[in-house]
Amino acid sequence: MFYDLHMHSCLSPCAEDEMTPNNICNMAMLKELDLIAVTDHNSCRQLPAVDKVASALGLRLLYGAELESSEEVHVLGLFPKLEQTYPLQEWIDAHMPGIPNDESYFGKQEIMNEMDEIIGTEKNLLIVSLSATLEECVDAIHRFGGRAVLAHVLDRANSVTQQLGFIPMDLPYDGLEIKSADQKQRVLDTHPWIHEEDTHWFIDSDAHHLIDISEAVNEMSEAVFEELWGKSL
Amino acid sequence: MRISELVSKTGWKVTTPGLDLEKEIHGAYCGDLLSWVMGNGEPEQAWITVQVHMNVIAVAKLREFSCIIIADGASLPPEVTAKAEEEEIPVLESGIPVFETAKILVEAGV
Repeated sequence: MFYDLHMHSCLSPCAEDEMTPNNICNMAMLKELDLIAVTDHNSCRQLPAVDKVASALGLRLLYGAELESSEEVHVLGLFPKLEQTYPLQEWIDAHMPGIPNDESYFGKQEIMNEMDEIIGTEKNLLIVSLSATLEECVDAIHRFGGRAVLAHVLDRANSVTQQLGFIPMDLPYDGLEIKSADQKQRVLDTHPWIHEEDTHWFIDSDAHHLIDISEAVNEMSEAVFEELWGKSL
Repeated sequence: MRISELVSKTGWKVTTPGLDLEKEIHGAYCGDLLSWVMGNGEPEQAWITVQVHMNVIAVAKLREFSCIIIADGASLPPEVTAKAEEEEIPVLESGIPVFETAKILVEAGV
């Protein structure tokens, strides 16, 4: 199946306003993706609306968020069930620094319903680091039944390699997100303890604009999906 | 300057008390982005940081830093301190911001 497991809705201040639940899901359908995940910064509050829209369209979803650890490393938490994000959201709320958003500078943080109507605004700035280490973020994701994918691992901002120099040897992550096959080779070249076959590699868009959602080019087998998220769908 | 001299001048807490503090310090490096520190640190420097992830020990070892000075009230978790002891990298805690820590190093003659 063709997937894109990293994109931001209009709840993320840095995403464009057009990243509404309906626009995202319909764009994914137009691009003939089979499976997507909407992963806002430190929030799962857009997911109920995305869930309703996607299920009406017959689009498969994983439910997630992009957490930012205290070391400012980005990690995706991806869950097979919407309900599993509720305790994650409580955990996130307990680890937020509570810095108010400045809309004029950072952008709006809008929560929508399945009709793309604004039903709320997140008051606290979401692009912040949580008071939890990378290890604690991965542990929380696992505790609530999700899988942890280290986001854009070779990026120059907020990646594990930028912040921490290299991917920690003992970190129990479930997957690594890269931008290209070249990047996979660079990760392998610089981390002799990481093996290509033992690792789940993901190539996602990290789309903040509708146009950037992936084309149907990155494929995941049903077997890999089941290994990671079970047969729930 | 030796680490022991710096400790007696500043009173900074040594969180790895079992380690040899007679190593020399030649200059200092400030930074929290470990990729940056890996690329730019020099041997025998004292490294001032607020980063307390386990990876700091590997970076200090790789760059052959003389010691690590944790600044601004941050402190290493016990498992990271244990790793520092294992790798024989002395760790101090200044308890004051990075800039103030660096100023004191300059005043002390580092």
